[in-house]
Amino acid sequence: MIENNLFDRLDRHGLVMAIWSPAAFLAAALLHKGVTAGGGAWWIGAGFGVLILGFAGHVIVNAVLKTRFTAGETALGLVTFAVGIVALLVTVLVAPSETVERVVLPVGLGLVSLVMAVIAYLVIAFGPRGAFERFDVIRDNNLRPASRLPHRGGRR
Amino acid sequence: MTPLLHSLLVLVALYGLYFAARTARVGGPPGEFADGGANLPGWAVMFLLPGLAVAGLGVERHFTLVGRFGLQASHVSAGLVLVAIAALLVWNRLWMATRVAGLFTPGEALGRFYDSVALRVVVMGLTVLFALPFAGHILSSVSVLLEAATEGLIPRAAGVWMIAIALAIPAIVGGWRATIMTLAMYSVLLALLMPGLTVLTEITATGPGFPTQPIGVADGILWDRIPGVLQNSAGIGKAMPPGGIFTAAAISSSAVALLGIVFSPAVLYLGQTAPAGRGLGVSTVWLLAGLVAGGFVLGGPVLAARMSDGPLALAGSLFEVEPLAGAGLLLLMMIGGLLAVSFFVTGGSILITRELVLTYLFPKLGARQARLGHRISLGLAFFFVALSASFAPLICAVGASVALPLSVQLLPAVLGLTFLRVISRGGVMAGLSIGCLIVVFTEPLGLILFESLFVELPWGRWPLTIHSAVWGLAFNLAFVLLSSAATLRSPDRFQRDRLHDAVEAALPPRQTGGRGLLWSLMLLWGFLAYGPGAILGNSFFSEPIFTDRSADLGVPSLWVWQILFWLLGVLLVWWFAYRVGLGRTSAERIKPITLGEPEKRRTPDWLAAGLERVVKKAS
Repeated sequence: MIENNLFDRLDRHGLVMAIWSPAAFLAAALLHKGVTAGGGAWWIGAGFGVLILGFAGHVIVNAVLKTRFTAGETALGLVTFAVGIVALLVTVLVAPSETVERVVLPVGLGLVSLVMAVIAYLVIAFGPRGAFERFDVIRDNNLRPASRLPHRGGRR
Repeated sequence: MTPLLHSLLVLVALYGLYFAARTARVGGPPGEFADGGANLPGWAVMFLLPGLAVAGLGVERHFTLVGRFGLQASHVSAGLVLVAIAALLVWNRLWMATRVAGLFTPGEALGRFYDSVALRVVVMGLTVLFALPFAGHILSSVSVLLEAATEGLIPRAAGVWMIAIALAIPAIVGGWRATIMTLAMYSVLLALLMPGLTVLTEITATGPGFPTQPIGVADGILWDRIPGVLQNSAGIGKAMPPGGIFTAAAISSSAVALLGIVFSPAVLYLGQTAPAGRGLGVSTVWLLAGLVAGGFVLGGPVLAARMSDGPLALAGSLFEVEPLAGAGLLLLMMIGGLLAVSFFVTGGSILITRELVLTYLFPKLGARQARLGHRISLGLAFFFVALSASFAPLICAVGASVALPLSVQLLPAVLGLTFLRVISRGGVMAGLSIGCLIVVFTEPLGLILFESLFVELPWGRWPLTIHSAVWGLAFNLAFVLLSSAATLRSPDRFQRDRLHDAVEAALPPRQTGGRGLLWSLMLLWGFLAYGPGAILGNSFFSEPIFTDRSADLGVPSLWVWQILFWLLGVLLVWWFAYRVGLGRTSAERIKPITLGEPEKRRTPDWLAAGLERVVKKAS
């Protein structure tokens, strides 16, 4: 796919939204059922399962269209994840102990499973070294010309 | 539940508006407003085709019928496999013909291939039928459900106008491309909600459901059996066949009627504006025949058994368990309707504008003016569909009843364009005339008119439990074959041969072996899955014919039969798509030709004179 073509970018955006909109609705229903009274860990697990399926769908889209996650998508994902963590922390601090006992462990495990899914994607897509290099900002700060040599691990 | 349902519907509307605005902001050439540059997103077409097939079946209607007649009605959903095969056969060759001869609309394709203006008019008539009464009837049904779900807060008429406006704005702003992208999401939502809600309902329900408990049908209806191959019944409205209306003949003919969705002008246009690639194979094999047909065959009876008191009652009990699930069930019932209304009105308006307004009334318009024309026409089309749905729901219902069976009557014409070059213009017109007449007189439209004006007819709707689509098609095909046999050497054959030769030359090399086996298996499968052989499924697994003993399956034998032949059907669709090669389109080997004389884009004199008179009066 040619990333510069505006229609191609719109088409990709449409496909990603077509996958995430129904998946987000299903996940919201399952998670809501899980965290409210009468729910339970299985519902929360199913909710996170749908989110991971949505993520897998997004990865497949990237693979088929030969694209990567856009900056906006990455930012939205990180913000949503951060909101999830904050919500979990607030629940621990504010909610009744019965709710905390019922909700915190499955939601925490669900959030961890999301992180694992992202790590698995990075390792599969870029390899262990490539995945690490995406976060390795220290090496990029090495301004010596020798750091550009391949046998020194230079990649700039 | 009302605020939640409103919020979901508003989100769905905003989704359409968002993509329309994004498409408009990208700012493609104005000429692409009506066809997306004949290069729509492949994924969108891939997802949308199954959604359209479901819209043809009708989600709420299907569940109501299964709740009323049991597994015999559910058998019709296996007809989605037949829709997948028809889509493969027709779309592939039509796509090629579109590129080879520059035939950009279904009316243009059929009209120029057969050199017949009458055929163009017929296609235009069908377009209007789908865009007005068919879409109007669905719009009215969705609004009735909305009124009931909101306990009268949104009356039916208000619902009609609100939905029409919500669907019209994205179409007017974003055109064909934005509409298709939005409807593709509706389709995905439909495909996820159906199995998701079935599973959720079963997990959260208090008592056992299907298959442990039978489907609660009325006394005398055989819920787990097909009531015979054929029944000597005068038809619905005159006599009710014992055991239920869905005999093997009714099931197979209803499946044929479902093909009307594939032959409807807007769906053919969607196929023409699809991009090259392997999307058609994925869409038909895995999504339509696999996921959607499987969802209906497996999950349809399960969900329908829980809806004995109607979808609203089930939505109410689901709402108690999980509010989003209750609202989601109502959304599932409505989203198929919204998809159909948006697609057929937008597609119909675009086709009428291209075929009539831009070709004959204002042939000299530039691309920008043509886009404005499309926008005005879309606004008018949605206005008229809302008007008819709100003030004439009965007329819409009567008109809608003939839309699919009349569309099926295009089958010989489309087959002539795509495969059978011997089918001639005279044959098509003769078959179409007789087929349409028979359809009209075996559906409420003709029956009500004739019986009100003249005398009582001895037959009703679907005589002998055979759907009107097949009554019409049987006579249609007989006339087509006889007339074509008599006109084998007619002079217009030359142009038809040219197109077929060019299309065949453009096809990629493919395996030709196994065709005989494929068609033999297809006939055998059709006989057992839908034909008279389907009746064997009534007791084949519960009372095996090879032994005196009966087997206690715990599920109805007919359900196992349906699942078995659905799976075999998927195999056949896979064969057509991947082994025969119909699931892939490619423009690599295409050498364009000009079919017949170049089209004359001139306003007819009588129209020009009329227009001039109007303009003079106004000035």
